[in-house]
Amino acid sequence: MKKRPAIAMLTQANKDVDIEPNRRPLSLNLYKRMLRYTRPYRGIFIALTLVVIVRAAQLPLLALAFSAVINGPIKNNHLTQLLWGVGGYAALAIITQYTLYHRLHLALLVGEGVVHDLRFDIFSHLQRLTSGFFSKTKLGRLISRITSDAETVRAGIQDSIFASMVAGGQIVVALLIMAFSDHWLFLVVLATAPAYYVTYQYFRQKLSIVHRANQESFSRLTSTLAESISGIRVTQVFARQDSNAKMWNALVSDHAGYNLATIRTSGQFSPLLELINALLTAALFIIGGWRIFHHSPGASLEALIAFFFLLSNVLEPVGILGTMYTTAVSAMAGAERIFSLLDRKPDFADPPDALTPQLKGRVEFRNLGFGYDPAKPILCDITFTALPGQTIALVGHTGSGKTSIINLISKFYLPDSGRLLVDDIDIRQINSTCLHRQMGIVLQVNYLFTGTVMENIRLGMDRTDQQVIQAARDLDILDLLMALPQGLETTVGERGAGLSLGQRQLVCFARAMLADPRIMILDEATSSVDSLTEMRIQRALNILLKGRTSFVVAHRLSTIRQADQILVLDHGRIIERGRHTDLLATSSVYSGLYQQFVLANES
Amino acid sequence: MGIHYTWRCALVLLLNLVVMGLSLAVLTVMGLNFDLIGHAIAPEHAQAPRWFLGLHPPADWSPLKVLIVINVVLGGLALLRAIFRFGAALSQGHLIQAILTNLRKKIYDKLQRLSFRFFDANETGTLINRGTSDASAIPVFIDFAIVQVVILLISLGVNLTYMINIQPGLTLICLITTPLLGVASVIYSRKVRPAYEENRKLFDRVVLRLSENIQGQHVVKGFALEQHEIDRFAQANDALRRQQRWLFKRSSVYSATVNFLTQLNLVLVLLAGGYIVIRDSGNPNGMTVGELVVFAGLLQQISTQVASISNIANTLQVSLTAAQRVREVLTMPMEVQNRPNPVVLDRPAGRIRFENVTFGYKPDETILHEINLEVSPGQCIAILGATGSGKSTLLSLIPRFYDPLAGRITLDGHDLRDIDLNALRRSIGLVFQESFLFSNTVAFNIAFGNPSATREQVEQAARIASAHSFIMDLPKGYDTVIGEYGATLSGGQRQRLAIARAVLPNPSILILDDATAAIDPETEYEIHQAMDNAMSGRTTFMVAHRLSTLRRADKIIVLDQGRIVQSGTHDQLMHKLGHYSKIARMQLVDEESRYIIQARRWYEGQSDTPLPREENIP
Repeated sequence: MKKRPAIAMLTQANKDVDIEPNRRPLSLNLYKRMLRYTRPYRGIFIALTLVVIVRAAQLPLLALAFSAVINGPIKNNHLTQLLWGVGGYAALAIITQYTLYHRLHLALLVGEGVVHDLRFDIFSHLQRLTSGFFSKTKLGRLISRITSDAETVRAGIQDSIFASMVAGGQIVVALLIMAFSDHWLFLVVLATAPAYYVTYQYFRQKLSIVHRANQESFSRLTSTLAESISGIRVTQVFARQDSNAKMWNALVSDHAGYNLATIRTSGQFSPLLELINALLTAALFIIGGWRIFHHSPGASLEALIAFFFLLSNVLEPVGILGTMYTTAVSAMAGAERIFSLLDRKPDFADPPDALTPQLKGRVEFRNLGFGYDPAKPILCDITFTALPGQTIALVGHTGSGKTSIINLISKFYLPDSGRLLVDDIDIRQINSTCLHRQMGIVLQVNYLFTGTVMENIRLGMDRTDQQVIQAARDLDILDLLMALPQGLETTVGERGAGLSLGQRQLVCFARAMLADPRIMILDEATSSVDSLTEMRIQRALNILLKGRTSFVVAHRLSTIRQADQILVLDHGRIIERGRHTDLLATSSVYSGLYQQFVLANES
Repeated sequence: MGIHYTWRCALVLLLNLVVMGLSLAVLTVMGLNFDLIGHAIAPEHAQAPRWFLGLHPPADWSPLKVLIVINVVLGGLALLRAIFRFGAALSQGHLIQAILTNLRKKIYDKLQRLSFRFFDANETGTLINRGTSDASAIPVFIDFAIVQVVILLISLGVNLTYMINIQPGLTLICLITTPLLGVASVIYSRKVRPAYEENRKLFDRVVLRLSENIQGQHVVKGFALEQHEIDRFAQANDALRRQQRWLFKRSSVYSATVNFLTQLNLVLVLLAGGYIVIRDSGNPNGMTVGELVVFAGLLQQISTQVASISNIANTLQVSLTAAQRVREVLTMPMEVQNRPNPVVLDRPAGRIRFENVTFGYKPDETILHEINLEVSPGQCIAILGATGSGKSTLLSLIPRFYDPLAGRITLDGHDLRDIDLNALRRSIGLVFQESFLFSNTVAFNIAFGNPSATREQVEQAARIASAHSFIMDLPKGYDTVIGEYGATLSGGQRQRLAIARAVLPNPSILILDDATAAIDPETEYEIHQAMDNAMSGRTTFMVAHRLSTLRRADKIIVLDQGRIVQSGTHDQLMHKLGHYSKIARMQLVDEESRYIIQARRWYEGQSDTPLPREENIP
């Protein structure tokens, strides 16, 4: 396939995650792994295999019965025999269709089962991956794994495996009958086998490449569309529809190119098989005719006619196998992409003997160093201790490392050097789920899920409605939540649509309160909440932080003033630390920051 | 479908017809073989082969020679058929890709132009599905409905004529089952159509679960909700499977039924055909066994095609549902649209008037009531109000994301609805509370509103937004791809990129919808100067809560439940009792801190005035 020129794209490909099609044909291992997914459906699978075997025998039998009726009663001009023959044929036809029903139904069940499990595995696996993965991977690509890629696998399982089995079985049975009825002609048929083999091998390589490229291109399409929809407001604001459309159109045309490459390849494959079939037929006619003319033993017109009926039972499935082959290759290309996601190892995982301690909430950083890209350290030599119940305020310019400290305490990332201890246990040794259960995290972006406010506060925690209400009451924000159109039963749209930022923050506070964590992590989204509600928020915050070890990226003066310890960060280092009043009196950087911020409000 | 496609469609049909003709020829030649052999070995029993087109082999050729020639012809025909089949597949591929490409372009274009209200009401999952998998299902529809059905009908016609030629009576008998097929198909379609629609909805749900989960990863991980999320996904996934199973049962029954009906044809042929052959035995013009074989071969071919009708009906259900979903998007009315002959403003001065503007997202739930406001060019208006008081709503009316229910808004004296929509929006720079950035380079994102901007212009805009220095610190500077390794930006950094993006096209109106909400006070302080730069010479609207920002406004309006309750400058409002002074006092520094600062300044002997003057701000 030609190398295509690069096209301008709305979203850029990420070389880390995106799969570039390579030239290696798809392997047998992949096929085995795909088959492994049918294991839970072994019962259905076995039943289906039986049905398939029966059906593989039924189809040539049907043809045999047909020619038997023609060559027997009809040739012999025998009416009664004809009736019996036709009756038998009809009975066989009914049984065959009954088998067909089961064959289709069972195959669909297995296919759906496999796709269902694949989707589930993909989702579950994603839950194990760490934050580093999600900051690099586009949503659209992950969506295309459970949509288009999974669908190709379905087609592969439900159509190609079993249809190939039927076709293959049909061929074997027909060949066997052929071998017994006329071994000379049978040898001719056998002699063409290499031609089929070579054709299949050649197209295996070609088809894998075009299908891979095609699916990769489709996944680019999905991710661009997903991002265009997420960013639609920005696009409209900047009246950029035309440039976006131009980029999209280029991408769509490019995708059409890949599609055409696929069509071209499979468009060569099937007719080529058909041609070989026809040539084989012609050869058989000549040799068969020659043998009849020379009165070779066993050669007769009747035998030839019967043989050709059998032949159609070989050649037709060969065509089906060809089509199925294309489907199978495409399914394998899809499976390859899914498995490469499933094989992606999380950046880190809990050790098998991870501890599940009841935390008191002591957090200690010891000479800790960290960078998202190890070559570009964000935090250097961070050392501090937070005692249970203390509030630690993190202060510093954007990019100074506040968020990274929070990410480390949340165990979204692991430190590169030094140690992070929680209750004197290395954070690596603590079971993540156990840690997060005892931790409340409220980030700048207050993410809500579609569902009611109640569901968003409860978030899968095992709590009653009464407890949810109590949490809101404890924070003294129940009245604000009840003021929503349907109170706690108000439905929230995607990403919290329908609620203002302030309301979303309240919901997130209540969520954290309900979790009743030992360690509270808060990235204050300053003025997201309007000042009229500000006082309420401050009060709620004080309640929320009380008695818990808290780490706050602080933007509120009140929070900063009340902190037990303020860490002033600059370029990933702690440059000043202490309480508000002490720092104000002695430090240079902190008091400068504070004055800049505070005094600008006065004049 | 336009004229453009008609010719291509015709070509596809033509090529397929040629293929069909060739197939028929191949079949005929095969039949000829039998008659030839039969006649050669027992001329008295079998009929002489019927040569067509007046082609007759020379009498002196031996049967074997004729046989060889016939089969060489057979090979040639097969080769031709293969070539034409390839051509047909390719031209059909081209046709379908042309239609699909066009369709995808249309969907995208339409989606880009639909109003905010549409996106408020539709979840991302369903829109993505409609643009990708649903659209992909449509060519299948074209393939089946147009190409295959037409070819099927023609080939049925040809095959039937051929069969009638051989034996009219027998052909009629074979047609008996046809109405049954139609009945089965109609019943089936009626039954499963709604089920397929439901199926797509369930599928959307699965996609939504995934996309929400990915976007809310921090919450999921932070609250250890992985298992809960897995359960939720499993629920949606299982619901989809349950429904699919119901559908499978029906489609399998249907396919088997159709297949049985076609098989019934063969039974009838054997019965009736066998009878006719037996009856005609000895009659030289009667039906021969060879003819019955050919006839059965033709019928089998027809049966395969007819059986594929069952496939078609099934696929049609899927793709019709898909088509319907795509159509819903394409025919969605565009709420906000240009009027005929819109006014195209070339950089308006920026005088904006709200005249008795009333608005609500739903007509019966008004959010803004009779807003009156006049803003002169270059003025800066700050809007303050409680959560849900209508601040963002008010601002979203200016770029015409929505139209007012009553009253009107004018820009430089023109009703917004008379102004060309793109021109209007280009003259407005907007920064939202949360800024969406595309996963592309920093430079691409800043130049989003003006893709032809030079690197200098991009850097200039970045400087205005105080973003230049942090951008230079990124691994590849302006060419860093956002979201890639190490380039995860903080909220403050994202927001500054958004400000750079907004000022780059040099708009005459600037809207800052709580733009500094996510920026920490220190950074906000740093960019105040920059924001002042950005605002100068532009009419600015901003939602703000911090006094430091509010003080910069020429006029402050306080909104409460959709009405303007207070307006004036900072100084005027500070001296009145009301919302404003209450908020303001809350933000002032506490006495203790003031005392420490003053004491220290005095101690260090910095200056006579304990408070820094504005011009000293870096």
